[in-house]
Amino acid sequence: MAHVDVREKPVLHEECCKGCGRCREACARGCIAPGADINELSGLVPIVLSLDACNGCGLCAEACPEPYGLEMAGPEAEREAAAVAPRARFVAPADVPDARVPLPHARPLVVKGTHASAIGALLAGCRHFFGYPITPSTEGAELMAKLLPALGGSFVQAPSEVAAVNMMYGAAGAGRRTMTFTSSPGFSLMLEGVSYLVGAELPTVFVNVMRAGPGLGNIGPEQSDLKLVCRGLGHGSTHAIVLAPATPQEMLDFTMLAFELAFRYRNPVVVAADGHLGQMTGKVELPRALVKPGLPGWAVSGDAAHRGNLHSSILLREADQEAHNLHLFDKYARMTAAEQRAEELRCEDADTVVVACGTPARMAAGAVTALRAEGVRVGLFRPQTVWPFPVAALLPLVRRARRIVVVEASDGQLEDELRLALSHAGAGGEVPIAHVRRHGGILPSQREIADGVRKAVAGRGVTA
Amino acid sequence: MSVFYERFERHDHAEGIKGRSTHYCPGCGHGLVHRYLAEAIEELGIQDRTIAVSPVGCSVFLYYYLDVGHTQAAHGRAPAVALGHKLSNPDSVVVSYQGDGDLASIGLTEILHAAQLGVPLSVVFVNNAIYGMTGGQTAPTTLIGQKTTTSPYGRDASMGQPLKMAELMAQLDGPVYVERVALFDAKQRVRASKAVKKGLKLQAEGKGFSFVEVLAECPTHLRMGAEEAERWVKEKMVPVFPLGVKKDVSATASWGAWHTPTYETGAVLEAIDARETEAQRFAKGFPETPFGGDELGLKFAGSGGDGAQTAAMLMVHAAVNEGLDATHIPSYGPESRGGTSYADVRIARSQVLSPDVPSPHALVAFNAPSLAKFGPSVAPGGIALYDRSVIREPHALPPGVRAVGVPLSEIAAELGQPLVKNVVAIGALLGATGIFPAETVLAVIRQALQKRPALVGVNAEAFARGARAVERGWGRAG
Ligand code: SF4
Ligand code: SF4
Ligand code: SF4
Repeated sequence: MAHVDVREKPVLHEECCKGCGRCREACARGCIAPGADINELSGLVPIVLSLDACNGCGLCAEACPEPYGLEMAGPEAEREAAAVAPRARFVAPADVPDARVPLPHARPLVVKGTHASAIGALLAGCRHFFGYPITPSTEGAELMAKLLPALGGSFVQAPSEVAAVNMMYGAAGAGRRTMTFTSSPGFSLMLEGVSYLVGAELPTVFVNVMRAGPGLGNIGPEQSDLKLVCRGLGHGSTHAIVLAPATPQEMLDFTMLAFELAFRYRNPVVVAADGHLGQMTGKVELPRALVKPGLPGWAVSGDAAHRGNLHSSILLREADQEAHNLHLFDKYARMTAAEQRAEELRCEDADTVVVACGTPARMAAGAVTALRAEGVRVGLFRPQTVWPFPVAALLPLVRRARRIVVVEASDGQLEDELRLALSHAGAGGEVPIAHVRRHGGILPSQREIADGVRKAVAGRGVTA
Repeated sequence: MSVFYERFERHDHAEGIKGRSTHYCPGCGHGLVHRYLAEAIEELGIQDRTIAVSPVGCSVFLYYYLDVGHTQAAHGRAPAVALGHKLSNPDSVVVSYQGDGDLASIGLTEILHAAQLGVPLSVVFVNNAIYGMTGGQTAPTTLIGQKTTTSPYGRDASMGQPLKMAELMAQLDGPVYVERVALFDAKQRVRASKAVKKGLKLQAEGKGFSFVEVLAECPTHLRMGAEEAERWVKEKMVPVFPLGVKKDVSATASWGAWHTPTYETGAVLEAIDARETEAQRFAKGFPETPFGGDELGLKFAGSGGDGAQTAAMLMVHAAVNEGLDATHIPSYGPESRGGTSYADVRIARSQVLSPDVPSPHALVAFNAPSLAKFGPSVAPGGIALYDRSVIREPHALPPGVRAVGVPLSEIAAELGQPLVKNVVAIGALLGATGIFPAETVLAVIRQALQKRPALVGVNAEAFARGARAVERGWGRAG
């Protein structure tokens, strides 16, 4: 066994030395002195070693905060820092694909909207739930708390919505399926995290059971967050697909779909339900298959294959940030092209098209059916995605129709999305738009909607 | 030092010397703490399990340096991110690396609750008594008298006292190991390195949550040289933030076993209470009523304990078992806490459109206020069924609505089970309207009481007595 007789001595990599002097302080033998010359590469003044008295104790290197500033090496060492080759570009491993496991036929469940959504999440392979109680969304979280232990999952009641969304960030970063239930004021608190999730491209599912605002408002149903979820998810350059279920069945189906879309696009997805739907019990058929999730290649993990992955939303160089944003915009364009969803009821010959989503769309469906019985040529166009707005399917109807009546439980937030979409499609101003709106936890009733349509047909435009 | 990247590619694309040197100011303590992490990870052999969570602060770019898995968190949220990762990937060793503004100010909630959960995580808290990244503002750990850009005359007590995080954490039940160390001389650096390593080891071995606070130098914002800054930490910081082990129960601690998610269909179906057998049908499709059409609206109203919601749910289950669609909307919120509790039920041949019931075909009122409130809205030709035990004088009803008074409470009391008055009401409702055969509802009751079969008898009897108490027939001209 070769024994190295000569003790190692400190070797300074001048270009990495910042001249802080911590090594000088550490040396009891006075081998280190402040330098006088500026290093050309670093622009700093490195220290100067004179190792005649050096005993090789290594304390100087121990004191150096720079990983490659000062190192102990044998006399033969001639390491050239500059010679280190650039790292090979990291290539993430292939995805472990999800599996779809067929389900036997089961009789329909009779469950409330929040429970249907929670069941949808479990069937979609979600096993990690983080949330904070807020009415009227809490029953969803409660069901997760009850069911997840038996399925080997984790449920955490976070100290706040802020903490909850960041726990989701952690779990999503690991490539796992994670979600939360919240309601309007709680969702506001999560927005910071949503912005980071969009920036870092982490798939997560938010079921926002919207309630009346502003402020604490009340726990009645309102479509209060449509603008927020469509336009306000961060400080610019953010979008998420917004699904708008109208039945407990769609609460299950859309929650499952939300996971699929979240992972397809690596982006948060919002299921925007209202307080009424969250509490509403109905018949819910189970899907044909459940999802056994795989593991995406981009998941962060310590193993060598995944170790090069990084989840971050900071890009210090403006050009890098711009390139990233352009990539996000491209993704939003793909979502807009591929993910518009809507349902039509009696629209085939309608000269009045009612546009409504969520529970108000059910009231509107009742109104349309009643009006048809009176001979009014009216149809219902129900966006199932509010962002992207399903304008492609709406355009042909609008070209045929004489008027649109937007029905919503908000201050025109759905109407704004509609107007924006029509305007971008070059169809703004083609047909007059009237509306029926209620606020503060009250949904437009079937009767109010029917009255609103009659008024619009009679040419008395906007109803309050 | 193999856990450091050979080249810091993420540091400004490794241009010039940036591939080999840090972004930190000369003499900054962060570089040393990074080295202790790198050494510990290597010595413990956990590189392929380690995830580092970078905070917001000067160490936001921790991910430039260590060859481990990385995620970068929002300001103060690193412990929440770390927790989310750990719970979904329990074999990982997750380090939450944070500065004083991040951990002790904006992220106080996250660190306290993560610590109290006690989930194995390793927190490295770098306390340099000032905000570095934003340019030298007051930190929660800034010393009394210390001048910062936001305490230009020196921090005084009115700006709050320095927050002693290690002591605070040691008060909690969750952490198994809490220590405060420093970097100002060779001896302290050895201790610091050992503490960081111990914190990681405790997680790698599944023992629990650890918290290591490192008193570090920020020469830039102290406006001192590194050597002077070291002295400042020793002479000024240490008296306020005493060094040493604050808590260590690691010898006996154990986090226990982790859950492993299952996706097995049997387990999932059982959890969500799905049944493979079809429900038996007793009715011939959608009920015959005087109203025609494809939909029926029912309303159940009472006070909190009357069982209006349960009655409504029984009807929805009955309808779905008969192959129909049905919805139930409860009243909820403050009103349900002792006030009125009411439920809208809609039953439809194929699909319920509007689920609310502004004018019910049948109303079941358990008390006088409910009858007064909803009686006037009952549809012409409908019925208003009420508890005659508590409503002596029924409120005036619209013409054509049949009032059906049944002593619901008395019948339930005779059965020795006051809670079954809602089942008496369902019996009466079906008796009066014939919406569904008795067997439909009895099957739902049996299904609901599967785990308490002893109660089936009294419920069936309640149903039967309710049915017997009324005469068949919807509205009568009045
Ligand atoms: S190895 Fe020891 S003696 Fe030699 S320069 Fe470094 S600190 Fe001084
Ligand atoms: S401690 Fe390192 S960076 Fe500081 S002067 Fe010494 S060699 Fe240079
Ligand atoms: S500002 Fe302070 S903490 Fe930040 S890098 Fe510079 S010395 Fe370090």
